[in-house]
Order: sequence, then C-alpha cells, then structure tokens
Amino acid sequence: MAGKIRVWIIAASVVGLATLAAVSWLSFRNTEELIAANQRLAQAHKLIEDLTDLHLLLDDAESSCRGYALSGKIDYLKPYEAALAQLDVTAQVLRHDLAADSYRLSQFQELEPLVQARLGVMKDLVQARQTGGFDAAVQTLQSDRGKRLTDEIRQKISAMQTEERNDLLDRERESRERARTTILAVGLTCLLGIALLLAASIVIYRLNRRSEKDHVALQNAERIQRTILNSAAYSMISTDAVGLIQLVNAAAEKWLQYTGAELLGKNIMILHDARELHSRGEQLTRAMGMLVTGDYQALVTKARYGVADEFECTYVRKDGTRFPVLLAVTALGGRDNDLAGYLMIAADLSERHAVRKMKDEFVSVVSHELRTPLTSIKGALGLLAGGATGVLPPKAGEMANIAHSNAERLSRLVEDILDLQRIESGRITMDKRLCDVADLIKESAESVRLLAEQEGVTIVSSSCQAPVKADRERMVQAFVNLLGNAVKFSPRGGRIEFGAECRAGSVLFRVKDEGRGIPPEKLETIFERFVQVDASDAREKGGTGLGLAICRSIVEQHGGRVWAESEGGRGSTFYVQLPLAEPSMATELNA
Amino acid sequence: MPKTVLVIDDDRDIREVAKASLELVGGFMVIVAGSGTHGVAVAQEAKPDAIILDLMMPDMDGRQTLSQLRLLPETKSIPVIMLTAKVQANKQELVSEGAAGLLVKPFDPMQLPNQVCVILGWSVSREDVGRNGSAKG
Repeated sequence: MAGKIRVWIIAASVVGLATLAAVSWLSFRNTEELIAANQRLAQAHKLIEDLTDLHLLLDDAESSCRGYALSGKIDYLKPYEAALAQLDVTAQVLRHDLAADSYRLSQFQELEPLVQARLGVMKDLVQARQTGGFDAAVQTLQSDRGKRLTDEIRQKISAMQTEERNDLLDRERESRERARTTILAVGLTCLLGIALLLAASIVIYRLNRRSEKDHVALQNAERIQRTILNSAAYSMISTDAVGLIQLVNAAAEKWLQYTGAELLGKNIMILHDARELHSRGEQLTRAMGMLVTGDYQALVTKARYGVADEFECTYVRKDGTRFPVLLAVTALGGRDNDLAGYLMIAADLSERHAVRKMKDEFVSVVSHELRTPLTSIKGALGLLAGGATGVLPPKAGEMANIAHSNAERLSRLVEDILDLQRIESGRITMDKRLCDVADLIKESAESVRLLAEQEGVTIVSSSCQAPVKADRERMVQAFVNLLGNAVKFSPRGGRIEFGAECRAGSVLFRVKDEGRGIPPEKLETIFERFVQVDASDAREKGGTGLGLAICRSIVEQHGGRVWAESEGGRGSTFYVQLPLAEPSMATELNA
Repeated sequence: MPKTVLVIDDDRDIREVAKASLELVGGFMVIVAGSGTHGVAVAQEAKPDAIILDLMMPDMDGRQTLSQLRLLPETKSIPVIMLTAKVQANKQELVSEGAAGLLVKPFDPMQLPNQVCVILGWSVSREDVGRNGSAKG
C-alpha cells in the first residue's frame, strides 16, 4: 500500500515539474520574442517617421529653391541649405538602420538616386537663377522633370510607408497572439499548480487518516498478540541472534520467578544449567561434526541450521531451584531472510515427570506384590506336581499339573509385561558391549535346544563372524523369543534355519520355520502387544502374546529392525537387522 | 551329614516353599528366619553352610543384612546367595558387595537345590536332582 502511494507521489511530482519547466520555457521564449517584436515595431515606426522626415525635408528644400528662383533673395536659400545638410544625416541614419534588412535597404537604395536626382534638379534651378536670372529660372521651373521626380519620390515613400504600416499591423497581431499564449500558459500553470497542491493536500490528509487507522490496527494486533502470548500455558522467550533476551511472556515470568524487566537484555544462559549446556554442546559437536560451544550455541545451533529442535532440559529459577522442560527452539528470520534471533517455547515437564515416577513406582510395587505370591503358588504347585511331597492320586496329580502350568503361564505373563514396560520406558538401559554375531547365534540356539528336542524340531544354525555392539543377554532374549515361536509353530520333525548374513555396515539374522505361516494382514500386527495369529494360540501354545513386542523393543533399542515374511502355508521367516560395530571397535574385539 | 542352609525371607510362604524344595528335593537341612536382624542372629548361632537371602525386606533389607554378615567374624565366610526379583537384579553390584551369586524369583522348586549347588560349586549328581534327589556335600 505504502509503495503504491510513493509511486503516485513521485509520478505527480515528475508531471508537475515537467509541466512547470515546459511552461517556463514557453514563457521565456514568448517574452523574448515579444521583446524582439517590440524592437521591430519601434524600428518600423522610426522608419515611417524617417521617411516622412525625408519627404518633408525634400518639400522644404523644394519650396526654398522655388522662393529663391522667384524672388532672387539669397535668404530663401537658407532652408534649402539646412534641408540639404539634414537630408544627408537622415539618409545616413536610414542606411544605418536598414543595414540589417536587405529588402528594405534595397528599397531605400532605389529611393536614394531619385532623391539625389531631385536634389540635382533643385541645384540646377538655383544655378539657373544665379547665372541666368529670373527668366532662366522660370524656364527651368517650367520643365516638368522636377515634378515627375517629386511624384516618383512621393509614390516610393508612400509605398514604403504603406508596406511598413501593413507589416506593423501584422507584427502587432503576432505580438498580441504571443502575449495571449503566454497569459494562457501562465494561467494553466497556475491552475495546474493549484490542482497539484490540492491533490497533495488530499493525499497527505488521507495518508494521515490511514496512518492513524494503521496505528490503531497495529495497537489492536499488538494487544491480541500480547494476550495470546500471556495466556499461553507455555513459557515463551525470544532472544536476538547472540542469545540476549528480547521478549518474555507471563508464563515464563511466573515459572522462572523473574520479572520481564529483569530478564530483558540478559543472556539466555542464566535460565539454564551450565553443565547441561556444556554436555549438550559436546554431544552436538559429535553428532553434527562441527564445534558447538557449551553456551547458548548448544541451545540454538540445530535451529540455526533449520533443523526442528525439541529436547528436554532444565530451567533454573531466580532462587536457583530447577524444573524440567521440553524446549522447542525456532530460528526467527528477519528482513531479507537474515537471522533475527530465536524463539524458545518451553513446556513444564514437572507434572509429566512426577506421573512417570509414580508409574515406575507403581510398576515396581506391583511387580513385587505380584511376584511374591506367585513365587509361593508356583513353588508349592511345583513341589506338588513334581511329587516332592509324595505321590498324589492320579486325578489330584492331573489337577496339580494344570494349576502348575497355569501358574507358570501367569508368571511368564507378569515377567513379560514388566519386561516390556521397563524396556519401553527406558528404565532398562541396554548394556551394550562388543559381541560376535556367531556367539549370539550359538548362545541363542543353545537356549532353545532342549525345547526343540522336546518338540522334535531340528534347529540348523549357520553364521558369519562380525562384531555388533549389543546387550548380549537382551539380544539372546530377542532371538530366543523368535526361535521359541518357530519351535512352537513347527510340525514335529520340522526344521528351523537360524543364520546370519554379514553385509556392509549391518548384519541380517534370519529365523526360518516350516510352520503354518502368517497371513499377509498379520505380518505387521504380530509385533504389537497381545496380538497373535490365532486367538487360541495363547491358550494352546502357552504364549503370552508379548514375545514379539519385547523382541521388537529390544531390537529397536539396538538401532535395528525386525520384520516377518511369509508365504501362506509354507512357513515364516523372521528377519532382524542390526548395525555392525564401527571398525575401530572391531579391532578391540579381535584384540 | 547334610549341608545346612539358612533361608532369610520376610514372606512366610516363600520361606516354606524354599524350605520344602531344599529339604525334599535337595536333601539339605534348612533353617529359616523372617527378617534380616533375626537372620543375622541365627547365622551367628547356627553357622550354616550357606545362606539364601531375600533382597527386598522391610526394616533391614537384603543389602544391609549382607553387609552385616560380611562384617561379623562368625558369618563373614559363609557364602550368601541373594534371592531377588529380576527387576532389581544387578549381579555385578551384589557380587562386589560380597554375594556368592543370584537366584531369581519366581524360582522352580524342582530346580532350586541344583541351582544352589551350581552357584556354590557343591558337587551334584544329575540323577540326584530329580524327584527325590539329594545333593552331596
């Protein structure tokens, strides 16, 4: 909007200035020409006057000569002589004035011989009177040469004057035209100026109005933003590009126990645990392959490189107490896409952590409270069913066996639930050490050997030798779960292939059975809790429905992947892919 | 002379099952105690060949009882096997604190005597650890 107005203002200024310049130039030209025309008018008037003078002088000279010729008195010749002198001067003046005008000069030059000739006739008359007396003078007078010359001169002068007068009229008309044009131009310019002034006033008035409106809108928007900011249940803090706090919302003030004024301009570091930032800096340095210092850079570096960054960290209150937050950092772009700063939105995790702790405590208590009676039940039933307390009657023995096997199943279920919960909650940290793939295969196969023998199933194992970084016990647990399933679902006399194939950067384990297979729609869901191919499997095969879920959790905790493939009715193959240990670690294993 | 084993566990039922298992299946002599404090006193008095000690007990827990047993001259050389649920198991830590090994609850009463013998390195013949087997010391 502002840009459009600016363009209009510039365009109007250009038009105004251009018009003003054009009009000024036109007026200047017209005025110059007016002056020139006036000069020419004056010249024309003078020419007419001079020609009249010439004519009068000639008439004077002629009258004087005639007077002398008739009276013979020498006094009559005085005006003649004076006129002669004056004629000379007048002729000179005319020649001079007409020097620049060749046309008029040529006309004058045509007149001049006539004048000279007429003067010659006068001179002849004077001489005739002086030498021949009155009669000779009368005779000279009677010749009509003088009269013809006088007529010719009169005609010539009259023609010249007429022409000059006509010209004078033309020039006057032209001057009037020019004066009118100039007046019109100046008038128009004045009108244009007034119009521009008026337009400028309107524009300024409207701009003012708009800026007032914009100001109000801006104030409203600011108020709304403030309200959003301050009613958010998140701490929001923005910093500039070097980590100095620029803005703090109400939640941040409340949680951190600072007033906004106390925080503005301070380094964001004062709200963080220095040690935590230091270790995060080290961690990022390793992960990003570039130096990330353990100051505010540890908070913003990922965001600066456009990576969405959300992580758990600790906020430190004014009184030094701490609380956990989930911090999301976003880089703020300024004009021209340069970095203006960062926005840090934090969610208080205190409650979530408390709930997690409660859940962990609950699981721990339940585990103990369930296990203790189960241990007794299972133990007592085991002794009964095992005959340690003496031989039972056949029916009682059968019942004891049923009770014992179900106590076993319940016990396994409790173990599996707790196991899965602990692996998924991260309460069990995988004790990852270097293991050889072949050893994992051997140990896992050995663990299910007895079960396989009982079921009449053969396990054929093969392996490659390569190092993986794994929690040996947990990985064996995962493979035992897969092998146990394979044994359970294999027909008597069936064969299970258990092998590993070492590839570049990873190793692919394979458990292939000749069981009934898995329908395609179940290939993915069987890894979910309590999902089995057939609902009766838990009862008939004694599974808990958690074995594959535990297996997947363990594999994922190792950065690996587990999946199943099956061609209906022709057995199933379970794959586990694990990353190989880095070569530098492998040498450790070999040494 | 059969070996004497002291079972210390706050849960009476577990104590009884363990006692029955060790006596009936393993052929050991079994004495029991229901708390850490009582267990230490019994151990000092009876000087058993081995102690099976529950880890999670009220008042004085298994760890504290173990450290007491390791301190007292009459009991410091008696091997102690910790009895624990899998959740709390940290074998390395317990061994470094003086335990001889670890038994995980819930245990199989038919296998318990065998497991004790394996941990303590007592000789055990396979056919003995059967329905009515006994371990020989």
